[in-house]
Amino acid sequence: MSTSLLLQYFVIAVAVLLSVWVVAKRQFPGIVRKLRVAIALPLLREGRPAWMQLVGRWISPVKQTAADGCGGCDSCGPKI
Amino acid sequence: MSAAAPLRLALVGNPNSGKTALFNQLTGSRQKVANYAGVTVERKEGRLVSRSGRHYAVLDLPGAYSLHAASLDEAITRDLCRGYLPGEPAPDVLVCVVDATNLRLHLRFALEVRELGKPMLLALNMADVARRRGIHIDLAVLARELGVPVVETVAVQQNGSAALVEQLDRMAEGLQPPQRQIAQGADLHQETRRLLAAAVQMPTRTASIDGALDRWLLHPVFGLVALALVMFLIFQAVYAWAAPLMGVIAAATGWLGDSVGAVLPEGPLSSLLVNGVIAGLGGVIVFLPQILILFAFILALEESGYLPRAAFLLDRMMASAGLSGRSFIPLLSSFACAIPGIMATRSILDPRDRLATILVAPLMTCSARLPVYALLIGAFIPQRQVWGVFNQQGLVLFGLYVAGILSALMVSWVMKKWRRDKGEHPLMLELPSYRVPQVRDVLIGLWERAWIFLRRVGGIILALTILLWFLLSYPAAPGDGTLSAIEYSFAGRIGHAMTGIFAPIGFNWQICIALIPGMAAREVAVASLATVYALSAADDSAAAQALTPLIADGWSLATALSLLVWFIYAPMCISTLATIKRETNSWRKMSFATIYLFALAYGASFVTYQLAVLLGAG
Repeated sequence: MSTSLLLQYFVIAVAVLLSVWVVAKRQFPGIVRKLRVAIALPLLREGRPAWMQLVGRWISPVKQTAADGCGGCDSCGPKI
Repeated sequence: MSAAAPLRLALVGNPNSGKTALFNQLTGSRQKVANYAGVTVERKEGRLVSRSGRHYAVLDLPGAYSLHAASLDEAITRDLCRGYLPGEPAPDVLVCVVDATNLRLHLRFALEVRELGKPMLLALNMADVARRRGIHIDLAVLARELGVPVVETVAVQQNGSAALVEQLDRMAEGLQPPQRQIAQGADLHQETRRLLAAAVQMPTRTASIDGALDRWLLHPVFGLVALALVMFLIFQAVYAWAAPLMGVIAAATGWLGDSVGAVLPEGPLSSLLVNGVIAGLGGVIVFLPQILILFAFILALEESGYLPRAAFLLDRMMASAGLSGRSFIPLLSSFACAIPGIMATRSILDPRDRLATILVAPLMTCSARLPVYALLIGAFIPQRQVWGVFNQQGLVLFGLYVAGILSALMVSWVMKKWRRDKGEHPLMLELPSYRVPQVRDVLIGLWERAWIFLRRVGGIILALTILLWFLLSYPAAPGDGTLSAIEYSFAGRIGHAMTGIFAPIGFNWQICIALIPGMAAREVAVASLATVYALSAADDSAAAQALTPLIADGWSLATALSLLVWFIYAPMCISTLATIKRETNSWRKMSFATIYLFALAYGASFVTYQLAVLLGAG
């Protein structure tokens, strides 16, 4: 396989993975959140190396705040 | 309170007194404003720094006619003002916003607020309109009689809130409760009349222009004719005015696809960009002019004060169909998107009326359906004049919107019969004065609409288009494959499997594929079709062809009609279903909505397709 083709497949793989992430985050935020918590928790356990804890913190979802009432359509209608 | 802590202000007042417009001006926000009651159903918070450097936290509360709450949004206002809302400290100052042209109604609520005994300020909003109408308000007398400071504001004018901020700075030096209280046993209406007599000179109760317009626009026959005419003209304009700009966008997309195809070497990346991203997104973005023209009219009507009159005209029809008059605003919001429409049902008091409105809100034609309608109408309905004046494509679009409305009325009527509800809830509606729409507000609204659309195109629609391209391109065709490559792909196989269910309603495998990503956002159905056909094309010149002629050649009229009908009814949006679940707090009700809408869509498409085939359109 030529380097050019390999590079093309790499770009496509990144684009597809990013798209999966965007769609999952938008359409299934609850599941994505639970998944992030499940992955992050073992990495954040006491005694884990610093780099692992850093990755765990990066993966863990941000603390939930009061919802603004948006149902997920990203304010595609009048704000009320 | 420490010197650094911001003072908490709460904007309270009757619905449609201009609280949100004032909130926007004070905080620099861009919350939705309109010339009808019930636009705000949740509290919103913003920050204000006055010229003196003092910091304020500004709360915009839902409008209320009384502190004796009769609905959820009124209860929020009442509890917050009294400091009963959990986790929400009581405001330090209440800014009671009143419509200076409608003091008879608004002062009554101001008196109720004053009785809370908290530091308070009265903002006479729309003071400019009041002056133009010859309403003279003696601010000093009103302030003395009320026992609270009174200032004039014009929320839609630059610096229209300057006097309010200056007064707040003065008040912040030492907060004082109101200097007067209503006499024991005195009536609020009586006190309102006393205040009006002391401080206000009103030459006419309503402006003569309002009366003259209402005589025609609220007439039981002419009013309905005028409403139908307005709606009809809007849809005509959507087609007649958008065509040149759509042509430019389509040409630009084609040029971009050709240029990228020429620069990149042949391979998977070129296919992704040309057949996936550019073909898919270009197929959606071309409908932006139509969306903006439609919203320009809706925004102008909102601002003008005509929409509550439309609610008044349609009230009898809605009541006989089992909907409350309060359903009008939620259903109207659903034309932009069902999600805010469903949330707006919180202002409906009766839980059964609220549920009925939630269940029919997805039947209103949301803006995401417009690209699908426009694509199919452009492909199958000839662009010709009817009776020498009307655009035939505009007529069909108008018909689709009407079909959605009539279906919603029929469904709610069936629900009313089902629950054997004979009760009717009278509509209490405040008719605001007519206003010439502010060009700035309409332009802001249009900019927001365009930005939201483009964000969706660059976000969820782009992501789904890339995923669909991947599913349509892999796995590649085997070396000895006899069919086209797309038939061997994941999506091709899924599409063919789905035709077992959808063939009776005339959907081919390409349409079946487009239905799945369309569940995330309806417009993606158009992008998906563009990608499917671009990848199915035998050569590059065929792939570069626009989607409209491709489907015009490849589909029967019966299939196109069936798909149009499908999109009137199908709940093709996961976010809407999630909102129904959240607002009803019931999986059962959400499941019911999903099943009944899909059943309705399938049944109506089946009848349409089979009838069209029988009539020779298959």
